[in-house]
Amino acid sequence: MSSGMPTPATGAAGAADGRALGDGPGLLDTPKQPVQLGSAQGSWFSQVGWRHIVALLAVAFSLFPIIFVISAAFNPQGTLSSTTLIPTGASTENFTGLLERTAFKHWFINSVVIAAVAGALSMFLSALAAYAFSRYRFKGRRPGLMFLLLVQMFPQFLAMVTIYIMFTRITELYPSLGFNTWWGLIILYMGGALGVNTWLMKGFFDTIPKDLDESAKVDGATHTQVFFGIILPLVTPILAVVGLLSFIGTINEFLIANIFLTEGNSKTLAVGLFGLVAGERNNNFGIFAAGTLLTAIPTVALFFALQKYIVGGLTAGAVKG
Amino acid sequence: MADVVFDKVNKVYDNGFHAVQDLDLDIKDGEFLVLVGPSGCGKSTALRMVAGLEDVTSGEMKIGGRTVNEVSSKDRDIAMVFQSYALYPHMTVAENIGYGLRIRKMPKDEIDRRVREAAAKLDLTEYLDRRPKQLSGGQRQRVAMGRAIVRSPQVFLMDEPLSNLDAKLRGQMRSEIAQIQHDLGVTTIYVTHDQVEAMTMGDRIALMKRGVLQQVAEPQEMYENPANIFVAGFIGSPPMNMALCRLDREGDSLVVELGSQRLRLAPGVLGEQPGLERYIGRDIVIGIRSEDMEDAALTKDAEHAITADVALVEALGSQIMVHFSLDARAPKDEDSQLLAAEQGDKETAALHSDEVRWVAAFEPRSRVRVGQQITVTVDTERMHFFDPETSAAIRD
Repeated sequence: MSSGMPTPATGAAGAADGRALGDGPGLLDTPKQPVQLGSAQGSWFSQVGWRHIVALLAVAFSLFPIIFVISAAFNPQGTLSSTTLIPTGASTENFTGLLERTAFKHWFINSVVIAAVAGALSMFLSALAAYAFSRYRFKGRRPGLMFLLLVQMFPQFLAMVTIYIMFTRITELYPSLGFNTWWGLIILYMGGALGVNTWLMKGFFDTIPKDLDESAKVDGATHTQVFFGIILPLVTPILAVVGLLSFIGTINEFLIANIFLTEGNSKTLAVGLFGLVAGERNNNFGIFAAGTLLTAIPTVALFFALQKYIVGGLTAGAVKG
Repeated sequence: MADVVFDKVNKVYDNGFHAVQDLDLDIKDGEFLVLVGPSGCGKSTALRMVAGLEDVTSGEMKIGGRTVNEVSSKDRDIAMVFQSYALYPHMTVAENIGYGLRIRKMPKDEIDRRVREAAAKLDLTEYLDRRPKQLSGGQRQRVAMGRAIVRSPQVFLMDEPLSNLDAKLRGQMRSEIAQIQHDLGVTTIYVTHDQVEAMTMGDRIALMKRGVLQQVAEPQEMYENPANIFVAGFIGSPPMNMALCRLDREGDSLVVELGSQRLRLAPGVLGEQPGLERYIGRDIVIGIRSEDMEDAALTKDAEHAITADVALVEALGSQIMVHFSLDARAPKDEDSQLLAAEQGDKETAALHSDEVRWVAAFEPRSRVRVGQQITVTVDTERMHFFDPETSAAIRD
């Protein structure tokens, strides 16, 4: 930050120049009056400095909870009241406790697998739907789009009772798709995310010139070849965004997962970690904080892996320019 | 290679817009046909129907004798160059050119050989590893051409391929495309709204207006014998000079009343165009090309001449374009109005309807100045006559 700040000397010179230009005649009238350093400093602050203050405040605001959680995770006493922003003592006791005394490893694997599979599948399905909605003109296209949007407007838990009854039957008939299974939850999440993702992607697909599809078709490509060979490579930014959003949404999802997953080893991180602090007493917030820190790892890792795809501009140069 | 036949082809869009009406067109094997017309005349739609990108509403579309109405684009064995070039941005030049071959599962070394061959033909060899966005407009245009020629298709389709280039490059690519087409001998349909491209590139021109084919002819034939006022006004630059006048007989020759002036036609005119007999004593639209008028001071012919005040002089070196107004009536038919709108002719709009602006091409020896009153000799034997209502040319 300091490298971006001009030294007071150059700042003063800059301000003096500005004054000389702005108040040219005034300065000529009183040529002997020295330029005030203080007022120069003030004008630097009013022009640039306040932005740094705002930025610092924003950074402090957003970092505070994270630092507090880190501090709590390393606090050996494991209570909220004994945790301060700057840790008083450091130990990895909470982490070892988490790994040894809870089913954290199972929860972690469950969460990552479910989020990855559901995210990838919903990304693919909504890409297919978005392609159709963006490229083809068919009966029911507009109502279909509206319906997708409308369904999104109802909160998910409205369907909770229905889902519960449905899955009670499914668990009886096909236990491998029922409660406490990966696939059951994955299917549920896929359906839930489809609407928003399809709309998001359709918007991006619309920006890919239709000439490209037509050109590929004339070159001899089938619809499938156009989709996988031409369109998909060009929409990677939105695929990355949608994939990341679905992953985060899924890995953080609590409400449905809490109803769906009741057995200890089948829980996801959100459900499992909540269980650690849901009791009325004996809540070890230190272990909970350690768990939340570890939970952030897959999300952050995915973000870094996808970061380079989230830059747009791939389509530049497709058409004239 | 194959011929392309439109047999009573119609295209009606879902919203009821009749884009192409009863199009009958027979494009011979190896021919370079230019489809020309103002924007919205249905020329692009016609091309896209050949490509299979638009359905044919009625009629029959044939390529190489095979009816292709229900054949999908990829099975028609055609190549298309788009106005936007439509290069695949995520592929290199080589991959772009070879895409159609890869789709057809051609062996790798064969693809490579063909891509290099096409690239060499278009001077693209050194750019093969670049991506489209690293190329200039002209180079992108070449890649689009390369993608078409590498497949040696039966038909080339080009949809205003030069309209995104600057004037100089356009002129250069124009001759290059014509040369490549000539070398390969592939049947080509080329869509443009630029009559210069149409005149210079095509073996034949097909001119369309509002979805209806107006005339199909070789460029010079179309220039010299336009079928109606629209063709006459669209082909040629500057456009043909026209005026609505009354045709009279005076002795054994014809005279047109051009506003307050009377222009005596050469004695042979009636003999060559006996159809004019029917219009004697009635209104008729006359048309005259710029180069068929000359400074009377040079021709020493004042008999078939009109006088006018010079409004503007443009010296082009090889000739001098002289603009002048006449107090004659402007044609009122639909074609003339469409042409005026097409050319966005502010000058005409500003003028009264009983005033027309003509442009004559004089020899550079002429010493005409702005504001001067001049006498213009009109080569009345090369004058065109049109029916003022139907706008059709009066021949025989």
